[in-house]
Amino acid sequence: MTAEKTDAPAGAPPQQKRDFLRRLSATPELGPAILLVVMLVVFTAINPAFMSLNNISNALTFTVELGLIALGMTLLMTSGEFDLSVGSVFGFTAVVMWTLINSTALGMPLSFLIAMAVAMGIGAVNGIFVTRLKIPSFLVTLGMLLVVRGSALWLTSGFPQRTWDAGDQWLAEVLVGSFCIGGDGDFCTGGLRIYMSLIWFVLIALACHYTLTRSRFGNWIQATGGNPAAAKNRGVPTRTVKMVLFMLTSALAGLAGIISSIRVSAANPNSGTTYELEVIAMVVIGGTALMGGRGTIIGTVLGVLILRLMRNGIVLIGVPGLAYNIFIGAIILGMMALHSALERRHNEGT
Amino acid sequence: MTTPIVEMRNIEKFYGRIHALRGVNLKVNPGEIVGLLGDNGAGKSTLIKVLSGAVPYTSGQIFIKGREVQLNSTNDAIANGVETIYQDSALVPQLSIARNLFLGRELRKGPRWMDRMDTAEMNRVASELLRRVGITKNIPPTTPISGLSGGERQAVAIARAMYFDSDIIILDEPTNNLGVAETQGVLNFVRDARDKGHACIFIAHNIHHVFQVCDRMVVMRMGTVAADDLTPKTSTIQDVENVITGEHLAA
Repeated sequence: MTAEKTDAPAGAPPQQKRDFLRRLSATPELGPAILLVVMLVVFTAINPAFMSLNNISNALTFTVELGLIALGMTLLMTSGEFDLSVGSVFGFTAVVMWTLINSTALGMPLSFLIAMAVAMGIGAVNGIFVTRLKIPSFLVTLGMLLVVRGSALWLTSGFPQRTWDAGDQWLAEVLVGSFCIGGDGDFCTGGLRIYMSLIWFVLIALACHYTLTRSRFGNWIQATGGNPAAAKNRGVPTRTVKMVLFMLTSALAGLAGIISSIRVSAANPNSGTTYELEVIAMVVIGGTALMGGRGTIIGTVLGVLILRLMRNGIVLIGVPGLAYNIFIGAIILGMMALHSALERRHNEGT
Repeated sequence: MTTPIVEMRNIEKFYGRIHALRGVNLKVNPGEIVGLLGDNGAGKSTLIKVLSGAVPYTSGQIFIKGREVQLNSTNDAIANGVETIYQDSALVPQLSIARNLFLGRELRKGPRWMDRMDTAEMNRVASELLRRVGITKNIPPTTPISGLSGGERQAVAIARAMYFDSDIIILDEPTNNLGVAETQGVLNFVRDARDKGHACIFIAHNIHHVFQVCDRMVVMRMGTVAADDLTPKTSTIQDVENVITGEHLAA
């Protein structure tokens, strides 16, 4: 497109290089995919235990909880907003559910539904502030972060909630139960242990990918983030789109918090602190534009894997765990530089 | 006597205490290109926003094809066959040509709950449309708008208005920031749209462009219509400029 129009100005790079760059800018997932492969190769070369089934199954378990939030955040950021309160909702929703289970006779399924409704309610309040009162989502969700975290601490007086009777609940099995592929014994020796949460993550990721790329609602999400005035002029209900996405993001953060609390057998009012930043980092590393309009679920899944496997791999190859953040920060900066260079190319000729 | 496509009667609009439109009357006949001229702050944009449902009017009546309508939202206007092409907010740069063409009116297939777009059909219609409006270069309908030139973008926006059988197309400064060749292209699209039976309201600062395509010119000044019977055949550019600035009154 650009090539024909500019009629190949003097000093234009050879056609082949141009084609590669164009493909790179048309598929933002390519950069993170290459990075992930390089990481896998390097880590495995230094420490072959990195590729062991045991390690992979462990890493995937942790991956899923942040990954669920990242899926919702991808859609929300594509529509031009983001949510800083997800980490608080992660902690709060689990606390609400376990408080209800422990101090009332509602039972787990009903408590679960109420907790999820509370999470969606928080998202709805975020959405109302942003779409009706026109306050930037940065400020709204920053305020909500404090309100929700404070509520979790106040509700529990700062103590973790008891969760040890989760073991025999069918809902706990459905959410985080596990099965073993190819191993034996209680510890699944020599096999791959798959947690139900991973299956949920895959299903929700597929649904989000379908929504963003194939559905009419996905077209509306991209239009809302890309040019809100144009979307509104065409009759796209941009406020409704944002409301739905705020509620979805909050609901997924709540679900992730509940899954985590069952897995680690503790509903800690402080859990999920700073998750919002890690999740946003995952999303932008994957190639979703921070300012909206362009988003990719495939990229986000890659970004989630990159950050989580980085954490895991760095420890395995003997880098001090405390140095982890240096690498994460460097990756974020590097990927941002790549994406912004590609974005500039993409917008060339406007 | 034909029924006008659009007739606005006695439109009044207050922004707080500012009296932006003072009893404006505007009539557009079928197959007519009306140039809307006026200095900054004369009320052109406000009038257009009223007609496209973007801002509510304080009082007055709007008739479309002889029927009185209430335009409370942009959707109302679109449903009544009024398509507005704003300068900066017509298209979503990140989306493809086809997705932009059908934005808000996407074709769907399969069960409703799947909400699935009929991408193949949308792309097919889009390429056919691109060919019909004369974008001869082979641009695939999956190209994002950000890869198009300014003139091509206007062409896509105009093509969209023509495809959806709108009765009247409002163009807000369509030739702004365009090169000479591209401006000619856009003016051709406007003539083409008229020949296919769409009426147009053409807003521009550049009187020369307006003179090239318009059948009739309406000049606004200080919230009122100063003249609505100027034609390129009977008036000179100097005459029109005098009306815009109000110098004909002083003379």
